[in-house]
Amino acid sequence: MTRSKDLLRALSVPLIFVLLSCIFVQQAVAEVGRDVSKLDVSIAVFDPGVPADPSLHRDLDVFPRIRKIESLFLPFILRETLVEMNEWGAIRVVPEPDAAAELLVTGTIVRSDGDILELWIRVADASGRIWVEKSYAGIVSDDYAHKNAEAGMSSYQALYDEIAADLLAARTQLDEMALAGIVEVSLLRYAGELAPSAFGDYVTNAPDGTLTVNRLPAKGDPMFDRIALVRSTEYVITDAVDTKFRELHTEIASVYDVWRKYRRKSVQYQVEDARRAQDNGSDGERGSYEAIKNRYDNYKWHRITEREQDTLAVAFNNEVGPRVDAMELRVEELLAWVEQKHDEWHRILEGLFEVETGLAQ
Amino acid sequence: MPTDLSGSWERDYSRGDDVNAVLADVLYRLSRTSPDARHARQSGYSGSTAVVPPQHRESAYALARLAEEITRPQVLTVSQNEHEISVARKDDYAIFCAFYGGMAKATESAYGTELCGWDGDQLVSNLILPDGLQVTHRFTVSQDGRKMRVVTSVSSSTAPLPFTLSRFYMKFAAPKSDFNCIETLSMKRVCSTTDIEL
Repeated sequence: MTRSKDLLRALSVPLIFVLLSCIFVQQAVAEVGRDVSKLDVSIAVFDPGVPADPSLHRDLDVFPRIRKIESLFLPFILRETLVEMNEWGAIRVVPEPDAAAELLVTGTIVRSDGDILELWIRVADASGRIWVEKSYAGIVSDDYAHKNAEAGMSSYQALYDEIAADLLAARTQLDEMALAGIVEVSLLRYAGELAPSAFGDYVTNAPDGTLTVNRLPAKGDPMFDRIALVRSTEYVITDAVDTKFRELHTEIASVYDVWRKYRRKSVQYQVEDARRAQDNGSDGERGSYEAIKNRYDNYKWHRITEREQDTLAVAFNNEVGPRVDAMELRVEELLAWVEQKHDEWHRILEGLFEVETGLAQ
Repeated sequence: MPTDLSGSWERDYSRGDDVNAVLADVLYRLSRTSPDARHARQSGYSGSTAVVPPQHRESAYALARLAEEITRPQVLTVSQNEHEISVARKDDYAIFCAFYGGMAKATESAYGTELCGWDGDQLVSNLILPDGLQVTHRFTVSQDGRKMRVVTSVSSSTAPLPFTLSRFYMKFAAPKSDFNCIETLSMKRVCSTTDIEL
């Protein structure tokens, strides 16, 4: 009897702990009030990866203007891939990285020559936890490019699928409580930015460099409700910006595909040219007209091909540039509106906090 | 500001070197310097290219033919800004010079290296190709900016003497087209008599 009592006592402590944990998780999840696994994802416009030294552009085959367009265009393909998975909440392409986003994807175009696309991708959640930080490279084969084009998919779809799979794998490492914590930290970070007097100390730095919730606002805190309202208003604008990226994608997708194919051919020609350059390529005796003409012509055709690529880049920009400019202008207007409102909201919320509590500095 | 070469330049056929005359001169100089020629002079024989060693003679012919081909374009179109100069030629690549931070930048590839720079008021472009083949262009513009002289020199490690030709050009105003044209990828060249909106 005593033995069974001891056993019961021994078992009851962990059991209570497990039960309490479950209740706590359920509470946390319930407080968040949604399926926490479906985090909102913000994909920032990529860094074009253009070297600062303009003299390197030609050597590295980088067309700055085209890279700029790609930096606006490629994040949208990742967005579409994530939307297709139906595993996430709202997925938006945003012009600037937002550290308070539940999940923020940032990227740099390392290489894009029509044949190979290499992206450096970093994904971090609102608490600062790194989900993914690695380089992804995709190579297009003729069959693959053709098949994907028919299916209306990117030629580098495998690359985007790999990023999406890594995101999903990273999410499975986290339990519901951790995911609910991300949602809370995200909103509290946003609140801290907008009304620092009220919410500046709700999140703190953990020893591992991530952010954790220090305390939570009271249920029904009117100030916190206002913050949530402001954020949802801001999301409306963010969605409008995202729509602009979607429109750009629709408008230039076909032209971009033509550009990519041309670039791919150019790269193939360059490889063939390099192979030819290694061979002597001439049957003429050294110093003969045939031999020296061959040397000169090799250089001439190499340069003419190079020039042709510049012309193609100009042609692509002629066609796509005005649309990109128009989109950027509209996005700038929307962002200016958000910034202006942000300042206004900040002032009003700080004022309200002072009126309601008399605690603001 | 270095010399302004920009604009369209048309070949002035009334001036410039005759290829055959230059070739004859090169062969004559070769004949004067070859060991056989010294021997011929000592034996009282002079004035013939027959004493030029065949491989030197063939090299001179080869350089002459290449120099003549390179200098054949009737029109040169020069685009110039603070950082770049490009000399477009029909049926040939555009000679290109890039200056960043005041320094000329070489264009290097597996096929050759193109160097260029200013020598006083002259723009000098030097193309170095495998097997010691070199092509140098020297552009000089007259003080009134209306005339340009281009001296092209082709040399090779297999030829004892370079082959140099002078060409003269006159500036002209390229006629303006009635059409505005732009290149596009999906529609190729698009032209209109008014502004183009895609």
